Amino acid sequence: MIQAPPPPPAPILAPAPERSVGTVGDLRVAAALTNARVEVDSSFRGASIVLYGAVFNPTDDPTDVVVVVRGPDAPVRLVKKTRNLGVWLNSRPVLFEGAPGFYMTASTRPLSDVAGFGQLRRLGVGVDHLRIDAPEESRTVTRYGVRDVVISRLGEDYLDWRRAVIRLREAAALYNTDPDGVTFVDRGLFRAEVELPATAPTGEYHAEVWLFRDGEPAGVSNLTLRVEKVGFERDVYEFAHRRPWTYGVLCVLLAAGIGYLASRVLGRR
Amino acid sequence: MEIYLPIAEVSVNWPLLILLGAVVGFVSGLFGIGGGFLMAPVLIFLGIPPTVAVASQASHVVASSTSGVIRYSGQGAVDFRMGAIMAAGGAVGAIGGVELFRYLRLLGQADLVVSVSYLVFLGAIGLLMLYESLTEILRRVRGEVAPHKERRRPLWLYGLPWKVRFPKSGLYISAIPPLGLGIFAGVLSAIMGVGGGFILVPAMLYALRMKAGVVVGTSLFQIIITTAVTTVLQAGRNQTVDVVLSTLLLLGGVVGAQMGARYASRFKADVLRAALGLIVLLVGIQMGLELFVRPSDIFLIAPGVADG
Repeated sequence: MIQAPPPPPAPILAPAPERSVGTVGDLRVAAALTNARVEVDSSFRGASIVLYGAVFNPTDDPTDVVVVVRGPDAPVRLVKKTRNLGVWLNSRPVLFEGAPGFYMTASTRPLSDVAGFGQLRRLGVGVDHLRIDAPEESRTVTRYGVRDVVISRLGEDYLDWRRAVIRLREAAALYNTDPDGVTFVDRGLFRAEVELPATAPTGEYHAEVWLFRDGEPAGVSNLTLRVEKVGFERDVYEFAHRRPWTYGVLCVLLAAGIGYLASRVLGRR
Repeated sequence: MEIYLPIAEVSVNWPLLILLGAVVGFVSGLFGIGGGFLMAPVLIFLGIPPTVAVASQASHVVASSTSGVIRYSGQGAVDFRMGAIMAAGGAVGAIGGVELFRYLRLLGQADLVVSVSYLVFLGAIGLLMLYESLTEILRRVRGEVAPHKERRRPLWLYGLPWKVRFPKSGLYISAIPPLGLGIFAGVLSAIMGVGGGFILVPAMLYALRMKAGVVVGTSLFQIIITTAVTTVLQAGRNQTVDVVLSTLLLLGGVVGAQMGARYASRFKADVLRAALGLIVLLVGIQMGLELFVRPSDIFLIAPGVADG
């Protein structure tokens, strides 16, 4: 855990689109996923994807590998329960403009041993450093006639709300930290497992594989992963969102039809 | 045995859902109610988002009420004219209720309103039913004769305009009270995901003084229309109806409902009412308790802004 209250995360540092980048001499990392596309169908109960890779290290200096997987960003609304006259009531919703729908890190050692606080914060590696978008000053936005408070990252309660997002997502297995999730199967060859729960959002996921030496990032490999609904599940979902009224009418007709059939088949006395 | 629900976006054990549908269907057939008030709390407990649970189970209510109305109309026990007027009110109430629910959901207050409505309505109705049926049972056990009840309707019922004749219900009253009842049931149907039968039946019996024989069939008829409108609106406005979830529930539900209807004749009416009153009261208390118990985490993810 972090002792001092961490300063807010630095502004976005866009991950480079190149696949493998060597920054220090010939030290390089390359990685791939066993499955770059996860299909969500009726039997979907979460997925486990293996990420494997290799470290090209001409020297004998020890290196650390950190895998970061980030799901698509989406706004998060939170309410806080407060007690009024013995009854627990919800506060006005507070809005974060964007937080990853899924976030995990796996590393060879605990992150705090791999690199310093500032370095991790700059790269946005680790749940304590993950970037949850919030503006400089708090303001209210009105959506559908409801006033939301957009949380400011300079506000004093920012950290409470931020920790709450992380805690709730960790409880739902959407955010994960695995300090020994990267294992070396052979010299230079490593693997890590990405566990997606059944509630993982659909969309494009970005994986970053960082190579650290002496607490400094020495290389990174970027991968993408798509989680998408397929088959019947996607058809139903898209139908329900594109033609919502037709979908609703069909649902009712289906229900009434089954009710009618049941009374015909079973209702004989 | 797990199945992934496309709209709720969680995976659940499907035999469990069919079983739940069957149990609720059995209760609903036994007591002649929709049973929605039992279903929503269990679905929420299973991890289905409350908004999806409330919207999807409405179509379970459509199915069980349809088979109920077919049975009752065969016996001539549905007053379609009364039902149509109440259903018109129900549709208006449902439209308002879905909009209200959408607003409350965005405000983050939907669960508060759901809990309070369950506590207030179910608590009050449960207590009344329990009290009324227990005194009747006591009287029967002691062998006393029931005191002659005054069969007089409240006088204001006659002072209102737009009088309509309802031959089947044996009434000649203004259309305003049934319309108002329908509107009220429609709002409840959108907010609590229930048909509202547990409120309509006593109101039709004690306030309107309809003929007892047509009350249940007529209330079921009005429930079909109201919940059908609610389902379409929830799907069209909020996209929260999960057809896989509701189909699983109603497959069990229709079978359970028929079984329940058969068993109903084996019990005395007052015993059934006492049991139903107890169930209603317990569900109301259980849903209301969360208002007073310290939550495990004081922060909660609020729904909304899915579509920006």
